[in-house]
Amino acid sequence: MHGANPMSPSKSPSHFTLRTLRALRAKAVRWPEDFAATVPLMTLEGLVSEKMKSGDVYSSRRTKRPSPKVAFQLEYDAETPLYVALDSNELRRYAETLRRCWSLFGIAKGDRVGIFDYGTSPISYLASSTFTPYLERGAADILGCLPICNDGLANLSQRAVDIVKFVRPRVLFLRTDCLQPFTHEIGRGSLALSSWVETLVVVENEGVLPRAERDAYQAKLGVPIHRMMRADAAMFLAPECPRCGFFHVWSDLYHVEAPQERPGQKSGAQPSRLVITNWFATSRPAIRYLSHVNGVLQPAGCPAAAGAPRISA
Amino acid sequence: MSKHASAGSRKEMDRWPGDRVERYQLRALKRVLRYAHQELPFYRERFDRMGVAPDKIKTLTDFARVPMFTKKDALATQRQKKSFQAGLEKLDAPGNGVLCMTSGTLGTSFLYLSKKWAAIRGDSLARAYRWGGLRRGMRMLMAAPAWHSLAVQETRVIQRIGATCVVPWGTFLPQYAPHFLDTILDVKPAFVSIFLPMLYALLAECRRRQVSPAHAFKNVKAVLVVGAPMTPRSRVGLKKELGVTDVFEGLGNPEGLTAMECRFHAGHHIFIDCCYVEIVDPTTRLPLPAGQRGNVVITSLIPHGSLYLRYDTEDLGVVLPRQCKCGRSWPLMEVYDRRANTLRVAGQEIVPYDVRLCLEALPELVNIPFALIRSETKMDFLRLLIQKPLTGNVTELGMRINGLIRERFGFDCREDWAEELPQRWKGVTVIEEKDWRGTHV
Repeated sequence: MHGANPMSPSKSPSHFTLRTLRALRAKAVRWPEDFAATVPLMTLEGLVSEKMKSGDVYSSRRTKRPSPKVAFQLEYDAETPLYVALDSNELRRYAETLRRCWSLFGIAKGDRVGIFDYGTSPISYLASSTFTPYLERGAADILGCLPICNDGLANLSQRAVDIVKFVRPRVLFLRTDCLQPFTHEIGRGSLALSSWVETLVVVENEGVLPRAERDAYQAKLGVPIHRMMRADAAMFLAPECPRCGFFHVWSDLYHVEAPQERPGQKSGAQPSRLVITNWFATSRPAIRYLSHVNGVLQPAGCPAAAGAPRISA
Repeated sequence: MSKHASAGSRKEMDRWPGDRVERYQLRALKRVLRYAHQELPFYRERFDRMGVAPDKIKTLTDFARVPMFTKKDALATQRQKKSFQAGLEKLDAPGNGVLCMTSGTLGTSFLYLSKKWAAIRGDSLARAYRWGGLRRGMRMLMAAPAWHSLAVQETRVIQRIGATCVVPWGTFLPQYAPHFLDTILDVKPAFVSIFLPMLYALLAECRRRQVSPAHAFKNVKAVLVVGAPMTPRSRVGLKKELGVTDVFEGLGNPEGLTAMECRFHAGHHIFIDCCYVEIVDPTTRLPLPAGQRGNVVITSLIPHGSLYLRYDTEDLGVVLPRQCKCGRSWPLMEVYDRRANTLRVAGQEIVPYDVRLCLEALPELVNIPFALIRSETKMDFLRLLIQKPLTGNVTELGMRINGLIRERFGFDCREDWAEELPQRWKGVTVIEEKDWRGTHV
């Protein structure tokens, strides 16, 4: 299994099978340095250029598996749009990832969950089987919650406030770019957000709200604000743990590296772009995706998820 | 017949004779009335206050005595209870439903849609997508505003039919047209379900990129549009411009209405298994006969999730006094606009749809976006904001428009031409004069 990334443009995608993925996974677990040294990176720029060169909307990320039933255009400001396609099994595991994020934020049976994001964000479409065809159970279905989605437009902040007032979700997920207008609406109405909502979670694709900004909003709004990482090209989700303050990653779902940009630099010394491998993406694999999220890998050790790798950002 | 139709009987029931349709709907109405009285405090309180006993409702005429309500009433209850639970809904066990919303100038109202509701309504709606040609294995483009009940229904429709789907990033509003066009060009869906203002925005985006709409839609067989009324000439024009086999229009709202066109386009077949439709006089509140315009009042026949019973949608519509050539016996209807979009010009009530019908006598103006400007004071003439067409002299077109409006309505028209309607009013058909003042186009 040494050699080129099976998803690199030079290799025919039909070479990629589930066996390939399993072998890569075994290598990543047993010989992570070898995995990092021999499997090339997949970049956003590479996906864009491969799509433009080959004309394949999935940037030649196809395997022999049957065509997935659901495809989403991704939220990237690139020269050409990118897509992911998901079969039922991938949807199931992606939704399970969201479910774990919800559980880490304390969401449990009977809770209401608000989402101020587009329906095309995985935060929304993985929430309920009623939002996405062929998704058997979304995070809300698994946990027994009642979800409600706003759209992701900043000018729908007033409606988000209505959701908060009338639905009283235990947790409100919101796009980072909606945080400011939402805060403005709350301030304009002199509303006490903490009387309706327990926690806010801010999420954006391939970015994390800086800690200082988060703290400032937290002080203004008077409720705890947690952050969540998303990298849609790799179908990656990682929540910031309310207990340890690091982002948790589940190793049965992802393998995350934080390679240092300068050779010889001690690993983990400085934040670096996270490299993500997704173990459940089988029809449009994401192997060593170089994300735009900066972080530092931290050793496992959080009581909320013993053994789970963690990231500080 | 079971409470809700099975797949086989569903096919057969759309050809039932009128009296059988009536019997079926009356039974369904009695069932939801009983359910509402037993389970839903909003109705129980209203019925008891107004002396309505569900057991006394024996005929459709009796049913017309059941009190109506509007969104304002639902919102007032919601505000009073400080909760989305206005008593119009019974929640299922946790994890078996979602909340959706309707927005508007009055405020946001919430609807609880249970999985049972989604299954019944979605399975019924699947019929219309089949009429439009959606088949197993075909790829459909769907918008995904997860807050809207149509997305919930379409999720079920896609699974029911066994189609695949692609979702453009963003939402269904016209400013996301570039994403939609990219998706159509990249993924080449065979069936497109779309908000009509977005379809017009897609055409504008094609013009901006200098892509022929027929080229962009070359793999698309059929388009299903919702969200705004489409005139017969608009449909023919769109079909020609997009080069698709057909363009269908659907009517619906989360409160209960489903009415869809078949390939004969003679009106929208009311889906009698999901809703009961009445047209009422907005002043007397009495039901109007087929052929007369009035407020559309709907009753959902699905006793799950939020239940809307004699709900005045405040839409302006009509039940058409004719049969469809397709042989389906389900009544036909049209909805022209929100009553809020009515303008009174020289003593006459008109809606943008009436003006569209009139303008489309000029081929250059078919599918050209326009809006009416409404004054707070008495209007003696019509004011029109209209996008310049690709061909034709606007001075000459203006004179012809004025002639057509005068001939049809008996009043004058003054038009403002714009290269494009300002972004903030894309998809808006009536602009208030106070908002319009000072705007430069």
